[in-house]
Amino acid sequence: MLRYVINRIKGSIIVLFAVSLITFFVLMIIPGNPAQLILGTDATPEMVEDLHVAMGLDKPLYQQYFGWLSSLLRLDLGTSYVYGESVTALIAKALPVTLSIAVFAMIIATVLAFLLGMLSAVKKNSFIDFFSRSIMQLGTAIPSFWIGMVFIVFFGLRLKIFPISGYVPMSQSPSGFIKSITLPSIVLAIGEIGTLLRIVRSSMLDSLKQDYMDMAKIKGLSSWKIYMKYALRGALIAPITIIGMQFAKLAGGTVVVETIFALPGIGRLVLTAVEHRDIVLLQGLVMFITSTVVFFSLAVDVIIMLINPRIKSVERGE
Amino acid sequence: MNENNDTVFVKNLSIKDGDKTLVSDLSMKIEKGEIFGLVGESGSGKTLTAKSVINLLPDNLQLTADEIVTAGKSLLKISENERRRHVGNNVGYIPQNTVYYLHPMIKIKNQIGDGYIYHKKKGKDEALRKASMLLNKVGFDNPENILNFYPWQLSGGMRQRVNIAMALMNDPKLIIADEPTTALDSTVQRQVMELFSQINSELGISILLISHNLGLVRHYSNSLAVMYAGQIVESGYTKEVFSNPKHPYTQLLIKIIPSLKIKKSEPLQEIPGYVQDSGRDASGCLFIERCPYAMEICSKYAEEHEDKGHYYKCNLK
Repeated sequence: MLRYVINRIKGSIIVLFAVSLITFFVLMIIPGNPAQLILGTDATPEMVEDLHVAMGLDKPLYQQYFGWLSSLLRLDLGTSYVYGESVTALIAKALPVTLSIAVFAMIIATVLAFLLGMLSAVKKNSFIDFFSRSIMQLGTAIPSFWIGMVFIVFFGLRLKIFPISGYVPMSQSPSGFIKSITLPSIVLAIGEIGTLLRIVRSSMLDSLKQDYMDMAKIKGLSSWKIYMKYALRGALIAPITIIGMQFAKLAGGTVVVETIFALPGIGRLVLTAVEHRDIVLLQGLVMFITSTVVFFSLAVDVIIMLINPRIKSVERGE
Repeated sequence: MNENNDTVFVKNLSIKDGDKTLVSDLSMKIEKGEIFGLVGESGSGKTLTAKSVINLLPDNLQLTADEIVTAGKSLLKISENERRRHVGNNVGYIPQNTVYYLHPMIKIKNQIGDGYIYHKKKGKDEALRKASMLLNKVGFDNPENILNFYPWQLSGGMRQRVNIAMALMNDPKLIIADEPTTALDSTVQRQVMELFSQINSELGISILLISHNLGLVRHYSNSLAVMYAGQIVESGYTKEVFSNPKHPYTQLLIKIIPSLKIKKSEPLQEIPGYVQDSGRDASGCLFIERCPYAMEICSKYAEEHEDKGHYYKCNLK
């Protein structure tokens, strides 16, 4: 088991290295001189040249890359032009915002998807199944900016239950924190629930058809035991993989929802970096987001291995 | 009616899939403590019949019957919940293909005893003690190790023995063994069958043995029923049926049992044709297409005979 984890970590490091190469060179070949962008159109050529040298942009690309990579390994992602702050500090500040709504959204989506998915598989073609299938369609089809604005108008402006924008840190006011992340989390959850519900339902339907379900029925166990111990156990792998992917996606920042609700999260940083051609910030963010995805897919693999021990032995070649 | 003495009593069972009849007017009884063989070609309705007895028929099939008594209780007169509990408590099931009947993601120790814990209201320790004892009985020298395995870490024969041990957990009155040896090689097959014999004679448990292997049924069963296209065409004590087969289908089946004396160049014998899967509700004999003795009357009518427990349905005298 440990060997499997170590092998997966090795693989992840190779992926991250490849990503660092691509990120660096793609952003470097984008036309436009960063020094010129920082100083604006009023700057004299001498000033631009000085900054160009100061930033090390006159050195050969490979030297720049290795310089960047070595500071990357020290978790130093450079300094953002726009904010004049270190990229690491900016990410550290934005991360709690993004993580809060990502965690809340995935909790909502997971609980509802499993509840509805299992019910609709067990009671196939019933009202609840019809209801779940409608949610699958709607959840996937409704754009999040629209549902976000509807929520702001209804819950924020009309009912005044939730603030319409902004983020309140937990340390400042726990109730304010919950209120500030409720609407964005629900909007994100609606976006993810359709896919997850579909996977839970189909895995569950598949598991219900397996021979072990016949055996559980013949044993005369309670329905709860039959469904929770036998059926659900056989239906976990695909949903967990999807949850991991969805969470990794949300943890890497959600530009649309963060923008609508004016939340200072990772998504907003990405937007700012792109708008202002802040290449240092953008490089740092891409590396951060990729690492998140790589980390979560690693975590999912380990979790699945714990649930389905068969993978362990396959990896060991037994 | 001596319902309570018989472990299984089925009267006029019919199973339909919409308009299509799969099993028609089937009656049978399994006496207490006997091994009852149910034989027939694939698709003859053996498994469906057995599944009706243990309340496991798929939801899309419709069952009608005058009576189904399993382990002393009429399944038709009790609620679905009671049925499930009664079957779970009194019947053990040993399935055909053993790979996925044990849940692949759950250790043996966490699935072998849950029926026992639920029905007998016992603790997990006690269930595991009993499981170890039974695993030992079915031929494992190190039952504690087996309990800690996942099903896929065992061979086919080992899994089948785990299934047998699991079926014995609740001291059942009836065990249904659906082609229990089909996926096993002949050495293990023999071991498993000897185990059944032993369980039957030592514990007095009735066994419904479903098989298309007539040689096996001849050797191990006390009584048998021969099924063809969803009907029982002949039934009775095994010795009587084998020494004096009445129905042409039974005669042909007995004739084609492969023997060890078969020559290399000689092809295996077979009954030409197939079991039909439609028109099973016809009033005439269903074997008419393949019967060497078919007469005109057979298309309209098949006479039922019963003589000292030897039943057959044929117009031949």
